[in-house]
Amino acid sequence: MSSAGAAGVAQVEFFDRFTKTMLFVMLGLLLVIFASAKFMSYEHMTGTGTDDKVNALAESAARKTGHPFVELPGDSQVAAFSVANFFVGIILGYSVHKLFVKREGMEPGPAGMNEGMEPEGGGAG
Amino acid sequence: MHIEDGILPASACVAYFGVTAAFLYPAVRQINKRVRENPYFKPLLAMCGVGIFVISAMHFPVPVTGSCSHPCGTPLAAIVVGPFATVLLSVIVLFFQAVLLGHGGITTIGANTVSMGIVGTFVGYGLWKLIRKVNGPVWLAAGVAGFVGDLAVYLTSSFELAYSLHGHVSFWHQWMVFFVGYAPTQLPLAVGEAIFTAVALQAMASRRPDLLPGVSSGYKARVEAEAV
Repeated sequence: MSSAGAAGVAQVEFFDRFTKTMLFVMLGLLLVIFASAKFMSYEHMTGTGTDDKVNALAESAARKTGHPFVELPGDSQVAAFSVANFFVGIILGYSVHKLFVKREGMEPGPAGMNEGMEPEGGGAG
Repeated sequence: MHIEDGILPASACVAYFGVTAAFLYPAVRQINKRVRENPYFKPLLAMCGVGIFVISAMHFPVPVTGSCSHPCGTPLAAIVVGPFATVLLSVIVLFFQAVLLGHGGITTIGANTVSMGIVGTFVGYGLWKLIRKVNGPVWLAAGVAGFVGDLAVYLTSSFELAYSLHGHVSFWHQWMVFFVGYAPTQLPLAVGEAIFTAVALQAMASRRPDLLPGVSSGYKARVEAEAV
């Protein structure tokens, strides 16, 4: 993720291999989403979730309406989801770092533990 | 598969909570056992928990049907952290999705856990074990687990709805009516989940085989064979 500088200080690159791969995958998925959404808009499709569709079907079968016990109004739902995803990202990154980034002085464990793992800081230090 | 509050009758909600509760004690035991065996199990569990939260809230549009749906992530988690641990993760994830997203419901956490956390998990895990037992490659076993596990989740949700709501209509007919509501959108997403599960597990197997109980022995044998 970074390379050693002249003075032995790790230089963090903007677009290392990992970042490039992740951005490439993300852009691919976003492209699929935008292309699908554009097509659905062109064809006047609603794009609602199947969960909502089937819940509506179930409501008509049950002849009663669903009533969420907890429902955040308006943009507060986006806020709650964004806050949750922010921390999800941090926890995910922290866990990935713990599991897949090799630390200095780390002994190879049983059954190939640490095998093929890059040293933390790209071998700098 | 996120059934809302107020659709299922109270008796069904209680029954599904009971089924879910029966899985929680083995889940805690499995987690404690795996934590003792491997200190890296804790971050792995955290990673799977937040992974399921995001994956099962990620609505992808399917232009053929004009609607959106989401993968589940539980077959992948079952292979990585174990099926019982995944049941516990599903309960936590479904609670937060109900509270934060209005996705699913509080009274239907049991029903939604039965479909996503129990049936999808154990079907996916069973297929993984079966294909690995006959020496199937990791990517194939993972892909099949992801694909079938995903569809099993939606078949179960449809079953839960039909069982409680079929009224005078034939149960089988109602079951298929609900499943057909999901299936056209879910089929392409199941293919996506198969690819994602296969890629994620293949990457893990090549980088940290020690974290995958069904893979590490094969990896160790390969390393030993290469050394000879």
